Amino acid sequence: MTDSTDTSHAPRPHVNPYWAGFALGLVLLTSFVVMGRGLGASGAFSTAVATTVHAVAPAHAESNAFYAGYLGDGTTHPMKDWLVFEVLGVFVGGFLSGALANRLKFVVEKGPRIANGPRLAFAFVGGALMAIGAKFALGCTSGQALTGGALLNVGSWAFMMCVFGGAYALAWFLRRQWL
Amino acid sequence: MTAPLFKYGLFGDEISLIVAFGIGIAFGFVLERAGFGNARVLAAQFYFRDLRVLKVMFTAIVTAMTGVYVLSRMGVVDLSLVYLTPTFLWPQIVGGLILGVGFVIGGYCPGTSCVSAATGRIDGIVYVLGMIFGLIGFAEIYPMVENFAHSSALGQITLSSLFKIPYGVLVFAVVVMAVVAFVGAEWAETKFGGKKPDADSLLAPAKTLAPSRLLAGGIVGLGVIAAVSGDPYRGPFARVDTRELALNAGTKADHISVDQLADWLVQGRNDFLLVDVREPAEFAAYHIPEAINVPLAALSPDIADRTERIVFYSDGSIHSAQAWLLLKSLGYSNAYMLFGGLEEWKDSILFPRLAADATPEQKAAFDKRAATAAHFGGAAQTGVAPATGTPTETPKLAPPPPPAGDGAAPAAVKKKKKEGC
Repeated sequence: MTDSTDTSHAPRPHVNPYWAGFALGLVLLTSFVVMGRGLGASGAFSTAVATTVHAVAPAHAESNAFYAGYLGDGTTHPMKDWLVFEVLGVFVGGFLSGALANRLKFVVEKGPRIANGPRLAFAFVGGALMAIGAKFALGCTSGQALTGGALLNVGSWAFMMCVFGGAYALAWFLRRQWL
Repeated sequence: MTAPLFKYGLFGDEISLIVAFGIGIAFGFVLERAGFGNARVLAAQFYFRDLRVLKVMFTAIVTAMTGVYVLSRMGVVDLSLVYLTPTFLWPQIVGGLILGVGFVIGGYCPGTSCVSAATGRIDGIVYVLGMIFGLIGFAEIYPMVENFAHSSALGQITLSSLFKIPYGVLVFAVVVMAVVAFVGAEWAETKFGGKKPDADSLLAPAKTLAPSRLLAGGIVGLGVIAAVSGDPYRGPFARVDTRELALNAGTKADHISVDQLADWLVQGRNDFLLVDVREPAEFAAYHIPEAINVPLAALSPDIADRTERIVFYSDGSIHSAQAWLLLKSLGYSNAYMLFGGLEEWKDSILFPRLAADATPEQKAAFDKRAATAAHFGGAAQTGVAPATGTPTETPKLAPPPPPAGDGAAPAAVKKKKKEGC
């Protein structure tokens, strides 16, 4: 963290990764102790999508086992869900941190050798693949790798190795996007 | 042992959403601080230029892992109540590969994309839209892939029980592995990323006790303690406060009388769980209205919230007492047994008898009993046998058929939403 008396508008440098990781570990530990569950992200989007589809086409959503799993038994509103509120917090927390470090900016993050259009197309495709992968794996990097990793969960460790494996295997072909 | 706080009923669902929001804010804040709102920072991981992803993730994992281990061994947290996502090995391997490919193509994972979008990154916003598109697509193909998605199920299982390695030893191994990976990562950054280790890194040139070295040392220290401290899971072994049990039994604080239960049921109270611990066939033949069937052998540690009021009954008192003891030892504070069991329920509630030489007071009380008996489908008997002396012959009374409200959909296993991701 930089000195708080720094008044320039330049983005502040990122925190030392070990200390950021330590803080992240404490957040995860707090979740274990207070709630008896870990962190998550993709599940909130699943709930939001299921709820939206249910509002638009109720019969379709109820007949689909995937959507039905996120709609609950109807006793409470499906969006009154732990992960949904947690992810709302992630947006707020990310915004707060970005604001305090002068990092709020409408910009496309990419390497110098790729135009905005292709980069955004890659972002869209990557997001879609990520969603499919997360649903097969019952979780994403937050819910599986991080949470399950800390609980020595068998599936989470297999998942984590495969995430790094899949990413490294394809990295060379995508170097123009990032380097 | 009072944690996880939520599972011990310290607060309810509504408060848990506020907690979720707070934990989410902390989560998002830390991710952004780490630089994870920026796809270039994240993608640099896959070119060995900047291995922040590895460092942050594994520091977080070892911190939470050693933390929850220590708290469990100290008896603060019951690790068996911390949700463990069930393992479906092949779907998780395939899902991991797809997710990894998506990571290097898109530059984010779901959590980091939220932070990226919140700080104005347009690629992050587009990534979130892509994710929503992917979810809708997955829902449409779900009927075709559902079988695969549920294949190679291993249940809720840790590496410790899979490989039969003591949990604490594994904690230590993961800590050592992480520190070795960090040193390797810093070396790779110097070699491929042209970075010089800064003052607060493990490979810093100066031989000082840099804070990150202290952190690494501290966590390795906890790992060594873990290696020799045994299993954090309470497993099937539970501890009971024998004085409290004796006091409960002695003062009959562990009992609910059949009259009390009948009153509760007539009033339609729903603040308790009535559990029939007999076999399913016996349950099908007759059970007390509103009861659910959990045979003694199937009684599991997660039958209900730890603070739920639970009333056990069986034919007599033995099986319900065993169930009561089991749950008491598992930390259920509100377990009770039905005094006299189903026998007493039949004698006093369903088929009450009035002795021929009853006093007027007894007669008045009996009228109330007769009404209750009718409520539960029984019938009062009059003048069958005197209250004292040898009972001549007991009429063979068949209990009424089970109530229409079938106990097959018990409250304890009501359809819950997914707890995992």
